[in-house]
Amino acid sequence: MFDFTVVTQWVDEMLRQLLPAPLVNATEFVLVGICLLVAYAVMALGLIYAERKVCAFFQCRLGPNRVGPYGMVQTVTDMIKMLIKEIIEINHVDRFLFNLAPYIVIIASLLAFSCIPFAKGLEIIDFNVGIFFLIAVSSIGIVGILLAGWASNNKFSLIGAMRSGAQMISYELSIGLSILTMVVLTGSMQLSTIVESQADGWFIFKGHIPAFIAFVIYLIAGTAETNRGPFDLPEAESELTAGYHTEYSGMHFGFFYVAEFVNMFIVAAVATTLFWGGWMPLHIPGWESFNAIMDYIPPILWFLGKSAVMVFIIMWFKWTFPRLRIDQLLTLEWKYLLPINLCNLFLMVFIVVFKLHF
Amino acid sequence: MRSTQEYFSSFFNGLGSLLKGMSITLREFFTPKTTEKYPENRAHLKMFDRFRGELIMLHNEKNEHHCVACGICEMNCPNDTIHVESEMITTEDGKKKKVLTRYMYDHGSCLYCQLCVRSCPHQAIAFVPTFEHAVFTREKLILQLNHEGSHLEENKAETTGKSN
Amino acid sequence: MSITLPQVVFLFLATVIVIFSILTVTTKRILRSATYLLFVLFATAGIYFELNYSFLGAVQLTVYAGGIIVLYVFSILLTSSDSQKVEKIKNSKFFAGILAAIGGAAICIFITMTHSFPVSHFVPGELNQKVIGTALMGTEKYQYLLPFELISVLLLACIIGGILIARKR
Repeated sequence: MFDFTVVTQWVDEMLRQLLPAPLVNATEFVLVGICLLVAYAVMALGLIYAERKVCAFFQCRLGPNRVGPYGMVQTVTDMIKMLIKEIIEINHVDRFLFNLAPYIVIIASLLAFSCIPFAKGLEIIDFNVGIFFLIAVSSIGIVGILLAGWASNNKFSLIGAMRSGAQMISYELSIGLSILTMVVLTGSMQLSTIVESQADGWFIFKGHIPAFIAFVIYLIAGTAETNRGPFDLPEAESELTAGYHTEYSGMHFGFFYVAEFVNMFIVAAVATTLFWGGWMPLHIPGWESFNAIMDYIPPILWFLGKSAVMVFIIMWFKWTFPRLRIDQLLTLEWKYLLPINLCNLFLMVFIVVFKLHF
Repeated sequence: MRSTQEYFSSFFNGLGSLLKGMSITLREFFTPKTTEKYPENRAHLKMFDRFRGELIMLHNEKNEHHCVACGICEMNCPNDTIHVESEMITTEDGKKKKVLTRYMYDHGSCLYCQLCVRSCPHQAIAFVPTFEHAVFTREKLILQLNHEGSHLEENKAETTGKSN
Repeated sequence: MSITLPQVVFLFLATVIVIFSILTVTTKRILRSATYLLFVLFATAGIYFELNYSFLGAVQLTVYAGGIIVLYVFSILLTSSDSQKVEKIKNSKFFAGILAAIGGAAICIFITMTHSFPVSHFVPGELNQKVIGTALMGTEKYQYLLPFELISVLLLACIIGGILIARKR
């Protein structure tokens, strides 16, 4: 399989020949930053287009189909519109916090995005506490939302932000526990190790029942964590006039919007990595020719394809179910998902100790 | 123990109903969409017959219409869209009769409620399903519905038509 | 003496910590104080990451920045009065506070400078997770975390029992 560290080492050697030693690191930092931002923005554009098309197909209509072939240029024009919109200055807000909040949200999202292994060697951060780091930085986004709601000097924004904060910290528990279940199966928290140990079978097949339950719980808790789908009461237009990002306009609102979509992608990508094999091709033990054909497809296409299926499922949730009230949300988490999660964790530990997995 | 049983049964019932809902939306995802791609499909676009697009006065091949200028449509119109201009002429027998000179219809203020069509005693006016009427100035929307040189069809005026 | 990149990073993080700590205690608006504290905690996590102790850095971000700051912000939002600004304190109390701070700082700096720290064995590369795990959860000598957590479960059971006994019918 193509190893992306070949490319990174080639770039490193080129830079060491061309530049004096202190500048090499700085140049590499800048290059990695640019690649990260470009990948983030392109992913956001693709996801917004996919959302509009998928939403339309579920609702028996076509979605954007005028601007460009099949409407593919629509999101680019929307991005241009968002960039040139005026950022309205509001009078009695706490200006520092009001302007800071979108940046906290987008930085949390960027940090989580950089942990994801797209292909062999194609990841930016690869700590040996990888998945734990990912949970840590997603909890920073909550602070950004709370500050946005408070700094808007608007009662409805404050209520939306508090509801959103309560929802996000509740569902983080479920996410953490279901990830912990898979870490018990793997034995390592490093994301590249998790993916490589799925070479002979994806975890959802290896860890049969508890892995499947953990996957379902992770998907539900993931959509609730990113304020998406049937759990989007904090930003419901009919209830709270867009909740915590009511007072934002132009690019500040664009940051919240983009961060929500890419957070959805991050949830899907982590689900792919932990449960469905990351960038590993589908190998059925025994069918060697089939495995050889599967190996021809580049790993990054495997990864993006599996993540696309996960993203489709998350969008399917959103356009099927009606919105949950805040007390129903919290009841779902604390009375149903958390006990199931704990029992599932116990079951997985039992299976790992007695080696009942494949 | 009953509440434990309720907990589990409500959980599984809920799960079943969620999956059923998702299967319905998935089926909807794959059905072919009925959206008409409008400017490209003008060649074979057919509006359904009862669509109210434009009011016309019915004329036959001999350029004759059925309007006796009674003014019932003008009285029934909720928006003062119709103005019937008529004059009294004397026929050969010496009787005075009202005939239509101009039937003015302001398309810009028409509600398409078809009260005029339904109240016409002689079915002189009708709605047709043409819908491409966009113009650049409002004055172009004030139309005269009776054609040039048309007159009342004679035998229809003698019999009392069914009023609907 | 040439400055290496780790030293530059450390100087930057230390400056951030000092500046935002001072801003935390001197600002008049309480939510800004919580935000400056958030930046201090980010920089502290950065120092842990620079020391290649990524586990502790991630724990700092999860528990402190993502948990305790959220708790602070929630309690500020729920209990804030109409005026966001803190009341002005009297001059005598202000000077007493400054004197106590200088005294505390002097004692800490004196002890830090005169203490002989053992030579640090800095192992480059990341710390192995298994080492951290066995140190936390082991049952050898000087490994107290697991019995501590079990005792806290016992304490939780006592609290729940007390609440159940004392609740109103």
